[in-house]
Amino acid sequence: AVDKINLIPQDFFAELCEQIIQHLNHKNPGINTVELCQRLQTSGIEVNVDDLAKITNIVSFLFSTAARSNLSTEELSSALGSTVNTLPKHAVQVIRHVWSEQGKSVAVSENQRHMTTVGQFVDIKWKLGVAMSSDTCRSLKYPYVAVTLKVADPSGQITNKCFEMTVPQFKNFFRQFKEMAAVLETV
Amino acid sequence: MAAAEGGKALSALLGGMAQAAYYGKADITEELLRGQLYPEAAPEEFRALRAKMGGLLQSIASADMDLNQLEAFLTAQTKKQGGITSDQAAVIAKFWKNHRVKIHESLVNQSCWDNVLKNMNWRVDLKAQSRHDDQINTPVAIVEMELGKNGQESEYLCLEFDEAKVSHMLKKLSEIEESMTALTQTT
Repeated sequence: AVDKINLIPQDFFAELCEQIIQHLNHKNPGINTVELCQRLQTSGIEVNVDDLAKITNIVSFLFSTAARSNLSTEELSSALGSTVNTLPKHAVQVIRHVWSEQGKSVAVSENQRHMTTVGQFVDIKWKLGVAMSSDTCRSLKYPYVAVTLKVADPSGQITNKCFEMTVPQFKNFFRQFKEMAAVLETV
Repeated sequence: MAAAEGGKALSALLGGMAQAAYYGKADITEELLRGQLYPEAAPEEFRALRAKMGGLLQSIASADMDLNQLEAFLTAQTKKQGGITSDQAAVIAKFWKNHRVKIHESLVNQSCWDNVLKNMNWRVDLKAQSRHDDQINTPVAIVEMELGKNGQESEYLCLEFDEAKVSHMLKKLSEIEESMTALTQTT
């Protein structure tokens, strides 16, 4: 995956690093790897989402380790130079720059806690449909709700999870969230 | 066959066919049904009966007939050459009244090819340490959703919601509910 960093133009890589460090600073809900990947592919660059995800994890790890060890920009540069010697020069430049601008405010303790499988809810998109007819039943006529949940995984990457609900399932779903709200209020 | 006996056997035959076609019991074979219900009938005779009844049940289920449609349909069948007797029509009508909802549900499920929400659990935790120094003891809801396609292994999605996110979710769910109400009022 580190080889693939060579393929990414400097401005895209800078954008990625910006998103990563902003996520570590709790300034954004997550990192849009899918969207970045699509833009890269449109520009003719052959990277897939997996590669980009791996690169994101590596850079994220770099920044959070640097935060934990309280590294200055110089210290980070020399650490990069000695250990990760396959990083292309433009990548090192970007990392240096982003770190010197925003590295100070990266909070460390939070990252440890989120090394679990709990994701963060970011947003929900929905559509309401009525299935009219199918090959097994000409008169289906059942309404359903299709939702897409935007979720940030522990490393900050945003993914979409889609599913459908029938009307009774939706009502139950709604009811559960109302109960949750009630409990959160009283705690 | 005496009418009462024939009625019982026909009812059981319809039940057996529904089990196989709609309730997923693949092991109910033609041989099994014949042996159990019409032991005296010749195989070709039984096959013809089964085919005829099966065809009728399929038409009725596919159109999800209400009582009016059903009566009209069955009456037409009794008047046809090689159709059904009025006793048989009565048995079919009774069977459909009892099984309509369940069979329709089964057909609906068969047409759902996307992920469905199979189950949902949640709890509220008190965060001992928070993202921002000025907030301690913030409650968060942890929601576990079981997602999966029919007949396939589930994926478990575990998400964290703070009070603001639950509010956001509730707002969106209200939007869905409003749309749903508008939809059911116009149909």
